[in-house]
Amino acid sequence: MADAQSTTPSAAAAPLVRTQGLTRVFTSRGSLLGRQRSLTAVSDVDLDIPRGQVTGVVGESGCGKSTLARLVLRLLDASSGTVSFDGTDLAGVSASGLRALRRRMQMVFQDPYSSIDPRYSVRDAVLEPLQVQGVRLQAADRRDKVESLMAMVGLNPALADSFPHQLSGGQKQRVGIARALALQPEFLVLDEPTASLDVSIQAQIIALLEELQRDLGLTYLFISHDLGLVRYFCNRIVVMYLGRVVEILPEPLATVRHPYTRALMDSTFEPDPRRRRVVTLLRGEIPDAFKLPAGCAYAARCPRASARCESERPLLIDAPAATAGHRLACHHPLEP
Amino acid sequence: MLLLEVRDLSVTIGPLQPLDRIAFTLDKGSILGLVGESGSGKSLTAMALMGLLPLIGGRVSQGSVRFAGTELVGLEETRYRALRGRRIALITQNPMTSLDPMLRVGAQIDQVGMLHRGLTAAAARQRSIELLDQLRIPDATTVHGQYPHQMSGGMKQRVVIAMALAGDPELIIADEPTTALDVTIQAQIIQLLVDLVRQRGLALVLITHDMGVVAQACDGVVVLYAGRVAESNSVDAVFAAPAHPYTQALIACIPRSGQASGSLRGIPGIVPSVAGYSSGCRYHPRCSLAQARCQTEAPTLQARGSHRVACHFAGTQGSPNG
Repeated sequence: MADAQSTTPSAAAAPLVRTQGLTRVFTSRGSLLGRQRSLTAVSDVDLDIPRGQVTGVVGESGCGKSTLARLVLRLLDASSGTVSFDGTDLAGVSASGLRALRRRMQMVFQDPYSSIDPRYSVRDAVLEPLQVQGVRLQAADRRDKVESLMAMVGLNPALADSFPHQLSGGQKQRVGIARALALQPEFLVLDEPTASLDVSIQAQIIALLEELQRDLGLTYLFISHDLGLVRYFCNRIVVMYLGRVVEILPEPLATVRHPYTRALMDSTFEPDPRRRRVVTLLRGEIPDAFKLPAGCAYAARCPRASARCESERPLLIDAPAATAGHRLACHHPLEP
Repeated sequence: MLLLEVRDLSVTIGPLQPLDRIAFTLDKGSILGLVGESGSGKSLTAMALMGLLPLIGGRVSQGSVRFAGTELVGLEETRYRALRGRRIALITQNPMTSLDPMLRVGAQIDQVGMLHRGLTAAAARQRSIELLDQLRIPDATTVHGQYPHQMSGGMKQRVVIAMALAGDPELIIADEPTTALDVTIQAQIIQLLVDLVRQRGLALVLITHDMGVVAQACDGVVVLYAGRVAESNSVDAVFAAPAHPYTQALIACIPRSGQASGSLRGIPGIVPSVAGYSSGCRYHPRCSLAQARCQTEAPTLQARGSHRVACHFAGTQGSPNG
């Protein structure tokens, strides 16, 4: 990935994807007689996704990372703000234009087979994106396409006629990746692609994704709850908490400044007993997303919180005394 | 002080033998990690210890489980019932398998105290609230009166731990207790369990697939593969010099801080199903060190001091995962 990391100035100047003020509000009725409630799943997110790099978005349930993934591909419409892909504002694109763009941007889901007909064989599943896009192939070309895609993701082509229930979790995820690659996209959004897998299989899939990224020069947006994995896999890390970006690390090993990122770091289980750490037991839990506080959403759990944090929301600004590109939303950041 | 001794424990379900001569010991006040991928027999070992095999049509075909001097294999069900929940408690992965959705959580914890410790309703209630408070549940009195659906996953798992503690057990078996939880909550629950063991002199069998959890929380570790023990020893010794290629590969599955990109490998293939165990060493189809001998001859579990390992080439450092 050394090549991917050395960005040329022009590539850095023109990210493949850019979001500005991206916001998504969901409304729901609390109960039968309850009044309508609204939840801001993603709030005012400005994000650049550089070409040929892996950008990681990390956070826990309810932080908005999966909603962000869907907004970026316009699988969901934004309530406000914009997403542009290679300079094109996705909101202004017609349905047919969007379909054409979708060839260039694809998604890998946590459980690929919850979105695929269980009666589809591996062959059918891998070819479906081509059919949706109206790509017509001769029988021989179809066979070649299936075989080359399966080989690319490390699946034995003999499995082409297998059905989902005959595959292991890792094999299903390889099919999900093969589907995403069928149209030769430039940009993949990976939404927790290994969250439901054993660690041994997770490592296989991550190794495969690394290889594909390097060989095909892909741009990834990698969504995960696992900061240890994100620090290994990603070039840049975006940390989200309850719908907002709280910190952006310009490089994976940058010194963490936000207390929440620190808590995430302390929660990773490093496989080294010489580096045991004692987790500080907290009383607070993640607050209800329907009842967000006026100030910093993390204040209720934060050991550094002051009265100011409860009333005044910190804005995302350049972190003081840090590498360029290090952004931070905290009134009382950790020392560099 | 030795609390639990498992020797040559084999389990059959019909014609299949999913556990083959499992062995380990556990002292009071210590934490043993039982680790392996899905299908390695971790949860089945927990069921065997709890005497719950009849529920899935299984039985112990040989071996011994001694708990505080009592042989549990062949123990009458009435006597087992007096142990379960009272002296040995189980915490499962999904808290909703342990909680009744129709009952207030407090009542469910109270029941354990009344049933197993003969407490009055008032004393049980007071004790339950104390336990919830010790588990860092904010406003324990209010939570005592809530229903499971009113709580987050992390809160429910704390309630399940409170239920496990309400019987004042000597041994807790926790089967992937944090897998379904958020990472910060996961770390909190593991830390809570570690603190409980240290403060109360409990013993804990912690079942996990994650060598990171083992490294951070356990004193000893038993690595299971396809129903057999691959390796066991103290955590410090196993991580300093993993002797079995499977142990090496499991450790290498989790990226370390600062690990170079492109160096993570995973373990090729998957754990075989119990009907498809290969001859010889069951790990040989996935092993980077496998030779002809491994295909035909099952390695025996060799003991040296506290170290146990079953591999013809134990101690050979392969390329981590091949």
